[in-house]
Amino acid sequence: MFLVGSFFLFAAFLITTCIFVIFSKNPVNSVLFLVLAFLNSTFLFILIGAEFVGIILAIVYIGAVAILFLFVVMMLDIQITTLMYNIKKYVPLALLFAGIILAEIIYLTVFKTSKVNIDTFIRSKNNTEQIGDVLYTKYFIDFQLSGIVLLLAMIGAIVLTHVYRPTIKRQNIDSQNSTTAKDRVQLVKIKPGEGIKDD
Amino acid sequence: MTSLTYNHFFILSLIVFIIGCFGLFLNRRNMILILMCIEIILLAANINFVSASVFLNDINGQVFSIFILTIAAAEAAIGLAILVIYFRNKGEIDITQINQLKD
Repeated sequence: MFLVGSFFLFAAFLITTCIFVIFSKNPVNSVLFLVLAFLNSTFLFILIGAEFVGIILAIVYIGAVAILFLFVVMMLDIQITTLMYNIKKYVPLALLFAGIILAEIIYLTVFKTSKVNIDTFIRSKNNTEQIGDVLYTKYFIDFQLSGIVLLLAMIGAIVLTHVYRPTIKRQNIDSQNSTTAKDRVQLVKIKPGEGIKDD
Repeated sequence: MTSLTYNHFFILSLIVFIIGCFGLFLNRRNMILILMCIEIILLAANINFVSASVFLNDINGQVFSIFILTIAAAEAAIGLAILVIYFRNKGEIDITQINQLKD
């Protein structure tokens, strides 16, 4: 009973925060509600025993993606009033789309019910061990490929946003390597009472 | 209704998916909100994968949800980079003008 009660609490919070993400006037509020939505889904995952994915969701989404969104929103200086107008034009299309999926939900709830119960499973290993068993053996290639995808995304983001400024002084490795001590240091003998004469 | 079933999570993920798609339809002008709606849709997919994996007692779904997380992070980075250069060129993020990028 505790499980069901917590599920409905977190699910209600998740749906409410998702709605607030869409209908907030200020994009900063939207991002913060997105963080709250991810946090609630983390709670849901931990509730059904998928701790590893829940914590990874908290770290990756809340710690990286949502904060990235927040930085961009704060950096861009958007006029809030101009963004939300002309919204009524798209309401019928959106309602039609939502109605179709609502019909699917009703069909599923009324005609198809699943009898699988979470309490019947006996776990010999914990969640993280189970994931580690398959992630580094069966899905090894996929794991490496997802690393390459992240590398490509990083390179792509840097290339897209990089601004070349010719006035910035840069390191020239060739000229550094080809210099000798004579180019840099000059030995001067100073006679007594004369000082150094500049050429 | 004294125990959790897969149906609970499936319907929750469908509702979250609908909210994300609804946001995509409504906010045709704000590019940041479109990216956030895509994140919500991916979150719905994650909820579906993880709950199915737990209730079928099969760990592969959780591994796939980790891959979805990876792709979502990459997608957010690239999308926000495109958003930043678009804002730098145009001074606004109105998506109705974005077809001028092909000129």
